[in-house]
Amino acid sequence: MRAEPAQTSDNELLKAIARSDETALGSLYDRYRVILFGLLVRILNSREEAEDVLQEVFIQVWRRAAHFDESRGRAFTWLVTVARSRAIDRLRVLAARGRLADAARRDEWESVSDADTDAFYAERSEIVRRALQEIPEEQRLTLRLAYFEGLTQSEIATKLGTPLGTVKTRMRAGMLKLRELLGHQVRNLI
Amino acid sequence: MVHQEYKELFSVHALTALQPGDARMLTAHLEQCSECRSAMDQWEETVGLLAFDAGAAEPSHHLRERILQTARNSPASSQGGGQTADATNVIPMPVQRSHSFSMQSWAAIAAVFAFGAFVISLLVLWSQHNASKQELALLSIQVKDAQQQLARQREAIEIVTTPGTQSVELEGTEVAPEAHATVAYDRSGRAVLLANNLPPTPEGKAYQLWFVVSGQLTPGKLFLPDTSGHGSVEDQIPAAARGSTGFAITLEPEGGVAAPTGPIYLRSDP
Repeated sequence: MRAEPAQTSDNELLKAIARSDETALGSLYDRYRVILFGLLVRILNSREEAEDVLQEVFIQVWRRAAHFDESRGRAFTWLVTVARSRAIDRLRVLAARGRLADAARRDEWESVSDADTDAFYAERSEIVRRALQEIPEEQRLTLRLAYFEGLTQSEIATKLGTPLGTVKTRMRAGMLKLRELLGHQVRNLI
Repeated sequence: MVHQEYKELFSVHALTALQPGDARMLTAHLEQCSECRSAMDQWEETVGLLAFDAGAAEPSHHLRERILQTARNSPASSQGGGQTADATNVIPMPVQRSHSFSMQSWAAIAAVFAFGAFVISLLVLWSQHNASKQELALLSIQVKDAQQQLARQREAIEIVTTPGTQSVELEGTEVAPEAHATVAYDRSGRAVLLANNLPPTPEGKAYQLWFVVSGQLTPGKLFLPDTSGHGSVEDQIPAAARGSTGFAITLEPEGGVAAPTGPIYLRSDP
């Protein structure tokens, strides 16, 4: 996952990027390209589209690094939020163009892994997946549909043919369980 | 909606799965409530961990250089504007030195009274009229919208000023003869459309951008004009359309369509 030791903190890299330091941008890319690209491929089910979006993400980082507020959260969270948001936008455009790959709508999730990962990635991935496995399947499904397909609660209800109230209950219960399982580890995981 | 009810929305908002109306109300509340904002930030950190569920994938090796090359050719955040840039945009008024002391004194006194009256009015309104809270929430949404619009305009300026950017003019058709638009796009296909004099859209409708590829229309993003008829949208020109310079705008259902169904309002010359 991380191609180089994290000698410089993410926040320091973002501050350097805000000063137009290209080397810092390259370092941040090296650090998070694999997890972000994995997320984008999972959402878009297309390496070509995912590379386009990954480029947009890092150009946005280049332009907006000065606006990053470290008191609001981790740089990792910001990067993932930006990447996911852009990917969901792209997913909607592709859907409107009728070019959405069928696999992007799969209900069963498989790993998209095609990269060598280090202990950093493997350990965290294992913790998150183990936590998800502890969440009841119907709750887990609503979380994944929201996170990886960008669906709202009513869209999930329509997709699953389930009453909206049931979807709301499952999603909230799933999130509370997820936080119970991961919440205390957030600071150690990222 | 009371404070506790907002809290119950945090987890779903972090997943961006709330219904649009609830999301807008919560966003307005978060603008005013630092306690809730802090709790919301924590939920977002938890949700961010779901990225580890996606699996790892390695992008192609040339992408790194492509990103750095693009960055090299575009201004970084510290140069691209932002909160501190506002100070440099202020045009100073000429100083009337002969009356400066008395004018400034009166102005200061007037400002103090005006500010005091404003604060008192706000406090009175806040304490006596719960409805004013809703108004403030709406104003907050409008401010956020304005900030987002400003950010979009800054990005549009960045695209327009990027070396090598090309532009295409769109003229209004018979359904909107006064309308006019320009599409600017850079070498990477990043495009911005700026339109003027667009008619207001009916309920449930929005304008949709189209790319003309070999005579066929490929759908782009949707946008709504403001009350002055100005509209703007950024989009990525599909790879297949990058050799094309044809664009059109139609009126469509607000969810967007894969093929045009409504009238063409703007189009570029064939």
